Amino acid sequence: MSFVFNETHEKQFQGLLPRYPHLKALVLPCLWMVQYQEGYISAEAMAYIAQKLDVPQAHLYGVATFYTMFNLEAIPQYHIQVCKTLSCELCGQADIIKSIEEETGLRVNESNALFKLTEVECLGACGGAPMLAVNEDYHENLTPEKTRSLIQRLSQ
Amino acid sequence: MSEMVNIMVDGQKLKVPEGELLLPVLLKNGISVPHFCYHDALGPDGNCRMCMVEIEGQKRPQVSCDTFIKKDMVVNTKNENINDVKRKILELELLSHPVDCPICDQAGECSLQDYYMEFGLNEARRPKEEKKLKNKKLDIGRNIILDQERCVLCARCTRFTQEITHTNELAIIGRGNDARVSTMPGQQMHTPYAMNIIDLCPVGALTSKDFRFKQRVWFMHSSKSICHGCAKGCNIYLDHNQEKYKSDTIFRFRPRLNHQVNGHFICDEGRLTYNQENAERVNEFYHHNRIITEENALSYLLRWLNDLKPLLIVSPSLSLEELYVIQILAKRFELDINAYSEGYIDLDFEDDWLRSKDRSANLEGVKKLGIKMSKDELIASLKETTCIINFNHKSFIGADLDIQALLAHKQEAHFLSHLFENYKHKELILPISSYSEHEGSLINEEGILQRYEAGLHNDKKSLLELLHAAISTPDTASQVWEEGLSEVLGIEYEEIPPEGKQL
Amino acid sequence: MITKIVSKNFETENSHTLEVAKQNGAYRSIDEAFTKPSYLIETEISNSGLRGKGGGGAPAGAKWCLATRAREMDNITTSSYLVVNADESEPGTFKDRQILEFDPHLLLEGMILTCYAIGANEAYIYIRGEYKFFAERLNEAIAEAYADGILGNKVKGFDYRVDITVHRGAGAYICGEKSALLESLEGNRGHPRLKPHKPSPEYYFGKPTLVNNVETIATVPFIVNNGAAAYRAYGTEKSPGTLLFGMSGHINNPGIYEMAFGESMQDFIDKIGGGIKNGKKLKAVIPGGASTPVLSAQEVKEARLDYESMKATGSALGTGGMIIMDEDTCMVSALKNLLSFYHHESCGQCTPCREGTAWVDGIIANMLNQKAKKDDIDLLSDISKTMNGKTICVFAPAVAMVIDGFILRFRSEFEAYIEKSLGEAHV
Repeated sequence: MSFVFNETHEKQFQGLLPRYPHLKALVLPCLWMVQYQEGYISAEAMAYIAQKLDVPQAHLYGVATFYTMFNLEAIPQYHIQVCKTLSCELCGQADIIKSIEEETGLRVNESNALFKLTEVECLGACGGAPMLAVNEDYHENLTPEKTRSLIQRLSQ
Repeated sequence: MSEMVNIMVDGQKLKVPEGELLLPVLLKNGISVPHFCYHDALGPDGNCRMCMVEIEGQKRPQVSCDTFIKKDMVVNTKNENINDVKRKILELELLSHPVDCPICDQAGECSLQDYYMEFGLNEARRPKEEKKLKNKKLDIGRNIILDQERCVLCARCTRFTQEITHTNELAIIGRGNDARVSTMPGQQMHTPYAMNIIDLCPVGALTSKDFRFKQRVWFMHSSKSICHGCAKGCNIYLDHNQEKYKSDTIFRFRPRLNHQVNGHFICDEGRLTYNQENAERVNEFYHHNRIITEENALSYLLRWLNDLKPLLIVSPSLSLEELYVIQILAKRFELDINAYSEGYIDLDFEDDWLRSKDRSANLEGVKKLGIKMSKDELIASLKETTCIINFNHKSFIGADLDIQALLAHKQEAHFLSHLFENYKHKELILPISSYSEHEGSLINEEGILQRYEAGLHNDKKSLLELLHAAISTPDTASQVWEEGLSEVLGIEYEEIPPEGKQL
Repeated sequence: MITKIVSKNFETENSHTLEVAKQNGAYRSIDEAFTKPSYLIETEISNSGLRGKGGGGAPAGAKWCLATRAREMDNITTSSYLVVNADESEPGTFKDRQILEFDPHLLLEGMILTCYAIGANEAYIYIRGEYKFFAERLNEAIAEAYADGILGNKVKGFDYRVDITVHRGAGAYICGEKSALLESLEGNRGHPRLKPHKPSPEYYFGKPTLVNNVETIATVPFIVNNGAAAYRAYGTEKSPGTLLFGMSGHINNPGIYEMAFGESMQDFIDKIGGGIKNGKKLKAVIPGGASTPVLSAQEVKEARLDYESMKATGSALGTGGMIIMDEDTCMVSALKNLLSFYHHESCGQCTPCREGTAWVDGIIANMLNQKAKKDDIDLLSDISKTMNGKTICVFAPAVAMVIDGFILRFRSEFEAYIEKSLGEAHV
């Protein structure tokens, strides 16, 4: 059960090759493509990328574990990441978390079949605080009501 | 060659090479500067921040591993300010460090302990219950146990696998104070030099499964020896201790620095040959399976030498002194010697660094002394004799079918350090000391002549002593050199430099 | 108060498309600039006094010089690199995304001019992983530019190649530090590099590299079109030009507002920000993104928004992203929020930062949980001293100064928590 880039990603990879002076620079783009293809980065995928880029597997593992956004295990369909840094905290982040807890029954760092709920650091949307990201999409200027609607919409 | 300039260190003038890195120069001049990530074989990494010194004219303390020597520099390594800095950085290293000292093998040779005693001595300002929990007993292969909690993240081990062996098994994973050393999950160390990271690790994060919990380091004595695992002649420390009611035992080998021969490292297999050295010894003199006295044994020996024409088989791992004395013996009694050593060749063992395909320690010595080695000469000699005297040549026994056939009806006398199967059934057995127990010298495969000192104190007589008792040949190494070996090799025994001499 | 140098197109519909951007003058600067020697651009930038807008405020011209001079000294015929730092992760900072969203072609134009100036043919935009939407905006704009012959082997028909590649990070604040960014761009963990002993450019795979913030590069077209003096007409003598200032927190009108340097912070908060939410009184402002020391309401009254004035208050202008805190804010909780952030984001390479950030986070947490010890404030100050000036990069010194700033101005709140803790302990 080993990993291989699908056609789209292989094409993307080939397109990126001439853009960098060294194969090694493609580590991050490749890890992203793996995550888009499988939803997370498995050991097999890391072995595949390590060979493709001629980098040691342990090195790749060290890089993958350095960054917050890479999942090393499969996660549910919707990863709800609520920003917890200062501006969002000042603007009522706690209420947003509470409304998600009430709507899903999940506490922070818990998952169910559909959602995983985490708190993350500043997402660069302080002007729209409080806010959260669902997978990679930002939802800013939240209120508890808006948050509840969002969860309900995703649950359908 | 850089110009030598004057600098001041702790009030003393030093003459040092300009432009070089400050830390190793300070260390070479005997000035203790605490450090974790710097290592002579790996260079600096700048991450531990322990090597900070005060440089006059610089606002902040500087890491001496990233400072280059400038003429008239004024350096302080030990005043109140910099000691406070060192103490605070050490405190941070110890913050999450588990207080494992009572069960940690590194105790007694641990940089954290040493630095704490030197300039720490402060109370903990955070309870250990708040420390970060990590994996404590990871078997990462090749006899290495990793304790991630003890690790100070100096990166010496990861850099070793990246820059020295290029096998890249280790990396730092995670981020911040969750960072830890790890292999790729499911993978293990596989380089044949893996156990060197145990020596490199300044703390007890990497320990030897082989040595684990066996001996406290402060009980051991370190002797300067040479590994006999192959013809590379890597320098080692032989760490041994004689516990009550037991014989002096070797607990481990560690690499000893020799820039000419092995640098800072040794191979794992060579490191573990101490087990072979510790293996069961022959303790008595035997004649036809009966224990006899030394006097009796030597008189049997003399009878063999006088009445029969035994072929002398010598091990290519004997010391030069032992080989030379056997040559004297051979000349006196007009006997043939042969050091046939095909059995020592292991092509699979060879690599391009510290492992030689020749698993004997002194074949160059055999050649230098002009001792015969070929199979044809051996077979010819065997056909003309009824007996052999084997001087500790292990691989010779049962080596080759032709030779086995020729040995079938010969009488055998053996001088041996370690026993082999059914040894008592040979005609004459004489126990001798092994290389860990007497001093001697060897020539490695590159022609480098090296001395090693006696290590263990056991009551075994050396080959030189036994032959002296029998036929009055020189009984000490220096005697042997005086009486001819120095002429053959063109150097005096005392003149052999510590790192050896290229002949 | 509002100026329109980099933000001039922000309110235009579809400003991110090439068509609309061109209608508003995009890429016109190239037509003349590329007929003249490239050093002229560098000279203009130096004369303009443009300062880096990523938080450091270092003179851009001097940085550019290092890259070009190194290339000359290295005697290499291959070019150097330009890397645009779009890692924007400083809490309170959300200005670069405005350019990426509303005027990506302005950034691309700036990049093309900069590449020409420093002799680079390859440029990368290192964008934080979370900014997926903005990375897509950039890629669309780049595709448009290639299709139109603006990017590629012959920029607008000139015999000069510029290739731009968007490179996504994956969630690490420390990768906004320029040497850590380059490590990440090289395919390594984002560990900052040891700093050189003499002025040096950065290096990407061994070639001299210029790393500049998005807004800094987006300002280049204005300066090339209008000249250094036109830029200097804005701002103060030592802090010329404008900045995309930001406001968030307990403010009525949070957002990004471009202003010339030198305005009064109080005016900015009252007039543009609309004052404190819910009619509350102002208590404190973190002036330039989390890593700048907090200011009390009294200090805000006298503060002016330029690098020198902010430095004189003992704080710093940083990215100009102000976090506004009202009278009900618990300053100890605010500090805890920030120390959690730093604890999570420390790369872990060097000892004082790796262990220090975790320790101080724990101490503050204990304080809030009423488990503080009597000397915890002094302990925090002591750890802060160890973290300052002894690490590989400026992450730990920033944490140290943040701690010092909070304790200096709001010590009584910390003491109150300790009182509560000791009171609890005695019960």
